[in-house]
Amino acid sequence: MPALRDNSGLLLALAVVLLLPLLLQSGTLATEVLVYALAVLGCNLLLGYTGLLSFGQGVFFGMGSYAVGILLTRAGMPLMAAVLLSIVIGAGVAALIGWFAIRQRGTYFVMLTLAFAQMFYFLAYSLPGWTGGDNGLLGIPRPPLSLGGLASVPLDTPWRFYSFVAVVFLLTFWLLHRVTTSVFGRTLLAIRENEARARAVGYDTRLFKLAVFAISGAVTALAGALHAMMTGIAPLSNIEYHTSEMILVMTVIGGTGNLFASLLGAAFYVLAADWLSTLWPRWLLLLGLLLIGVSLFMHKGLWGVGQGLWQWATGRVRAGRPAVREQSL
Amino acid sequence: MNVYLLQVVNGVGIGMLYFLLAVGLSIIFGLLRFVNFAHGAFYLLGAYFCFQAVAWGLSFWLALVLVPLAVALLAWAAERILLRRIYDKPHEFHILITVGVALVLQEAVILVWGPLGDNVATPAPFQGVVMWGSFIYPKYRLFVIGFTAVFALFLWWVLEGTRLGSAVRAGSESTEMVAMLGINVFRVFGLVFALGAGTAALAGALAAPIRGVDPFMGLEALGVAFVIVVVGGMGSFGGALAGGLLIGIVQSVMSSLWPEGARLMIYVAMAAVLLLRPHGLLGRG
Repeated sequence: MPALRDNSGLLLALAVVLLLPLLLQSGTLATEVLVYALAVLGCNLLLGYTGLLSFGQGVFFGMGSYAVGILLTRAGMPLMAAVLLSIVIGAGVAALIGWFAIRQRGTYFVMLTLAFAQMFYFLAYSLPGWTGGDNGLLGIPRPPLSLGGLASVPLDTPWRFYSFVAVVFLLTFWLLHRVTTSVFGRTLLAIRENEARARAVGYDTRLFKLAVFAISGAVTALAGALHAMMTGIAPLSNIEYHTSEMILVMTVIGGTGNLFASLLGAAFYVLAADWLSTLWPRWLLLLGLLLIGVSLFMHKGLWGVGQGLWQWATGRVRAGRPAVREQSL
Repeated sequence: MNVYLLQVVNGVGIGMLYFLLAVGLSIIFGLLRFVNFAHGAFYLLGAYFCFQAVAWGLSFWLALVLVPLAVALLAWAAERILLRRIYDKPHEFHILITVGVALVLQEAVILVWGPLGDNVATPAPFQGVVMWGSFIYPKYRLFVIGFTAVFALFLWWVLEGTRLGSAVRAGSESTEMVAMLGINVFRVFGLVFALGAGTAALAGALAAPIRGVDPFMGLEALGVAFVIVVVGGMGSFGGALAGGLLIGIVQSVMSSLWPEGARLMIYVAMAAVLLLRPHGLLGRG
């Protein structure tokens, strides 16, 4: 069944989205998993599909939070308009940073993205009139979702908001699945594998990198916007170094180059952080050790481990079959 | 007028510390070709070790020698035990493992010394200020400028005048070639990593009496060091010096013009430099 295999990631994502409400008590925690999974998808698109390691994903996340916060509180926009405009702003900021950063490759690119992330952090810090500075932007409402003026869906409770985020997440997942399997996506893989060759074949690789950066910024800003609506605030920490680091860490822990791996990485990180932080305030020490461990021994992330286990299990079943037959004979 | 002169001198003082902070990162990048996210944590350790040494009643001067050596030793061990295993892996793992080391060190500092900051007393001979007419300046900051200048000369000699230095410079051009000449490249990698961490620790120890110590100073320093390396040009000694001074002066002058935006302006300066020279002031493009 090739159709099933092609869409297996999408089906797995759907399964997780449906399972989360059964497994978790808190709707906010479940929403957090999906929100960060969106941000990780954006990061994975860069790292896993294009080979660009961006340490500035927090900028787009934070910009999404601020944009939706300002649009909802000051402009009083309807929900969908505010979210869509935040996505556009995220893409714009990403294109701007990308224009500077993609001229460089490898480690230089990493440093540039981090330096620009710091720049936007201090920009947000220096403009308290817009961002609330250190306190963050407070009192962001969660207006009901109006469906073309026909009906209006309230998003007031955590689980109602989860349903909204789940639909948005699955839609984005499907769109990114289409993007990565398109000619555009295959060209990105060519750039990841050998940029000089992709250029020699005639692709304007810079344009492709800029486009994928903008898409990544858009998806990450969407995550940031949903996060701000979830918590009701757009804190300064959303645009901080720590957010960039967290998104990257989730991406690598989940595994790169596979969209479902991003959901896995985000779920693992969010749930582990939620559990560990109640046990020990210095749990980041354990995270540090985990990162060292992943770097040393687990290069394909959780997805790679899952694949290995699956192959081991299915391989064992196949090896076991003749033995069963012999016995039954 | 005098205010600006004072801010420029102040900026030179900050800039020399920034240079010390960034030069190790730049050399490590030049040779090992990866971004060391643990660099800020080595700076943090330098500051806290200095704080602890002074708290134990050790002389500040002895601390200034011992602290960088201790941190260099730690970094040397980290390179041997952790980094050396993954040089052949994709560079996201080089970065990730240093991010992990940075997290472990930062959280360990909080575990040992607590989440709140502390102060380090200015060493006795440099307490107080110097006065020339209307020009008043803290003695310790003048000492920092002089000391880092001398240390910069020493570091320059290490890189330009010693066998290790020529191996480092040749290795930055082509690691394979240097290995074929019979030099143990891994040993050079380890020494350079330790040297870079040691200079960061020295910067931390020197900065401790000026700004005190707190567990998040490493993260802050990491961001600044990145900007300086990007502005100056990756892997360039002169670039780190030029970038450090430029950023130090911009920050210092701006802090009297627009205090809230002083930090922002160093990043604006970076963007301006990158627009004019995409590979940094002294970087080779």
